[in-house]
Amino acid sequence: MMPLSLAKQGDTNYIKKISGRDDVRQHLAELGFVVGEAVTVVTEAGGDMILNVKGCRVALGKSMANRILV
Amino acid sequence: MDIKIALAGNPNSGKTTMFNDLTGSTQRVGNWPGVTVEKKEGRLKHDKNVIIQDLPGIYSLSPYTLEEVIARDYLLNETPDVILNIVDGSNIERNLYLTTQLLEIGCPVVVALNMIDVVRKNGDVIDVEKLSIELGCPVVVTSARQGEGTREAAEMAILQAKAHQQAGHPHVFEGPVEHAVAHIEEGIKNHVPASHLRWYSIKLFERDEKVIQQLALGHEVMAGIEDAVTTCENEMDDDAESIITNERYAYISKLMDVSVKKAPRKGNLTISDKIDRVVTNRWLALPIFAAVMVVIYFIAITTIGAIVTDFTNDTLFGEWIIAPMHGWMETIGAPLWLDGLLVDGIIGGVGAVLGFVPQMLVLFLMLAILEEVGYMARVAFIMDRIFRKFGLSGKSFIPMLIGSGCSVPGIMASRTIENERDRRMTVMTTSFIPCGAKMPIVGLIAGALFGGAWWVAPSAYFIGVAAVIVSGIILKKTKPFAGEPAPFVMELPAYHAPQVGGVLRSMWERGWSFIKRAGTVILLASIVIWFLSSYGVADGNFGMVEDMDTSILAAIGGAIAPIFAPLGFGNWQATVATVMGLVAKEEVVGVFGVLYGVSGDAMTMVEEGAFSGLAPIGAHFTMLSAYSFLLFNLLCAPCFAAMGAIRREMNSAKWTAFAIAYLCVFAYAIALIVYQLGMLFTGHGFTVATAIALVVLAFLLFMLLRPTPGRNKSKLAAARTRAAGSP
Repeated sequence: MMPLSLAKQGDTNYIKKISGRDDVRQHLAELGFVVGEAVTVVTEAGGDMILNVKGCRVALGKSMANRILV
Repeated sequence: MDIKIALAGNPNSGKTTMFNDLTGSTQRVGNWPGVTVEKKEGRLKHDKNVIIQDLPGIYSLSPYTLEEVIARDYLLNETPDVILNIVDGSNIERNLYLTTQLLEIGCPVVVALNMIDVVRKNGDVIDVEKLSIELGCPVVVTSARQGEGTREAAEMAILQAKAHQQAGHPHVFEGPVEHAVAHIEEGIKNHVPASHLRWYSIKLFERDEKVIQQLALGHEVMAGIEDAVTTCENEMDDDAESIITNERYAYISKLMDVSVKKAPRKGNLTISDKIDRVVTNRWLALPIFAAVMVVIYFIAITTIGAIVTDFTNDTLFGEWIIAPMHGWMETIGAPLWLDGLLVDGIIGGVGAVLGFVPQMLVLFLMLAILEEVGYMARVAFIMDRIFRKFGLSGKSFIPMLIGSGCSVPGIMASRTIENERDRRMTVMTTSFIPCGAKMPIVGLIAGALFGGAWWVAPSAYFIGVAAVIVSGIILKKTKPFAGEPAPFVMELPAYHAPQVGGVLRSMWERGWSFIKRAGTVILLASIVIWFLSSYGVADGNFGMVEDMDTSILAAIGGAIAPIFAPLGFGNWQATVATVMGLVAKEEVVGVFGVLYGVSGDAMTMVEEGAFSGLAPIGAHFTMLSAYSFLLFNLLCAPCFAAMGAIRREMNSAKWTAFAIAYLCVFAYAIALIVYQLGMLFTGHGFTVATAIALVVLAFLLFMLLRPTPGRNKSKLAAARTRAAGSP
């Protein structure tokens, strides 16, 4: 497992674990980040990334991307 | 009886477009009680007996964001007759997550499968009938942007409302969960309205704190519920909240299999992805953004903006309104004071402010286009990396961008920031960015004292940005603002061509918030200021005075002036100008012109670059004291209109007072430091004031550079927990 923030542009990974407080995890889940889901890195800049999950484009800051393990 | 339709849906699902399309011009915009989340209500265009209530854009009905709490409170307590759920058909999977929750409320639901044009263009096929049967509620295809199907959706909603046709409960959850939920339903059926039974049961299953608090069920009932939940958790080997989330997605995924046929995508990247690769690129993002901004300001300020502003100021107000009004007042023989009050006081005062409207509208138009296209969301993302270093989030950037036109809509744009601390900080610092009305002051000082030097105007922006950064760092280290800014999470809409109606509406809403204030606060202030400046004691009698020197305003200015002596402009004229600046910043220029005896209109001279006419002002200042005056006026409390906006967004008298006090103290400190140290370095000797300025500077540096209090402590605590936790 590695933090999503380390993934490369264009990579598609499957989410293995999401850490963080309940409300943070819940909010990520609402946006489509759930365990088992595929996420594609559209662009990446210093750990901040734009991701494609469930057909939606979501921007995550580095600290948030660190909480998603793939 | 009126029928109430509630519009619910994800952000970016086209909800606002749908709302605009359904209601036309019958909207009323207000706030939800007690909070600054916008509340929009309107009546259906074709049927005035139908009220349409726009709910905030939400991803779910969990209570984690203010918007979600508002939406669910509304849906449960005010019981709309029907919920019209806007689902973005091109993102159907994620959008249906909310739908599964809305169906549980026990209210008639109609799904508007929106953006159907995009779905068709992608070549996807959605089996609407199948979807409708599976979900247990009518599904209508719409494209709000093209006006397709919106009327049918509304009519279907009305039909369902009239029939009180409750939405069915689709089979979302697996056996063990349904079992537990049934258990809970049994336990609480006498405590909640029958129609909401399922919703409350599922929320209790999730251990939703707000619901537990609200229902205040007895100990025994709660124990029974906890028992059922724990049993289920053990069986499914997961926590209750995750179970529900996963089951919802699993259900939707099954639903997708039977009702949606996705066309194979050509390549992996959509057009939006390709654009994003360029505009949010690590190296290109900032240069592209800078270029876009330069173009926008160039158009808004120098070309189109300047032309319309000149027209409003000189022709519309100058020739068409003020001059004929004077003439008319003379013909009807109105007393001189009435002429003064109406024409010079009110029309002149309000007109000076309205003169900025066209330029502002042009700027807002451009920003609205950027927003519609989808670029603004990317700007927030790009700027987040930079702003985070100063304790602000990237979402703080948009209010500041708009604030460079006018602080009022800028401050109002801070609403999109979810985290309360981040939002308060943005509200406090947005007015540091020089707004359109502050530019004439800059022009005046640059013209009168610096011979129109080119660097004065950029230095104003630089100081504004620096003030935001410094304040961000300082405030983050104080207790009420402590803590990292909320991690950046934001859905980015797909890029699409701007829609004329939406862009114009957004431009007008922002512009109107400014005009409305010109008509209220500024109107009132203009009257008061006119009175204070035209009445006074002359020759031992109270009455209208010829010279402003003898007016009440001059007396007040004289009394306050000593406060500004350490900043280098402790005379009553500069004080009065500063006070007038609270009405509207550009007033400063006019007041200077009058009080320092400039022959002609000072504002026109500034605009035309006729700096020699401003010489009388130069005689009263040194370069240093003039710059100090400029600093103070740029940074201190904004105009009354912006203060009103701060009051509204803070939603608390205490916070408003704190914000305004902070701005004034900060402005005073900076002007004091610059003036006194400037005096010292130009050989004016070391005085008590110099010492004070040095102390203030030291304090400022201390606040800026000190380590964040509490951070070491929390690190220690974390280390201790780790130590305790390790075997």
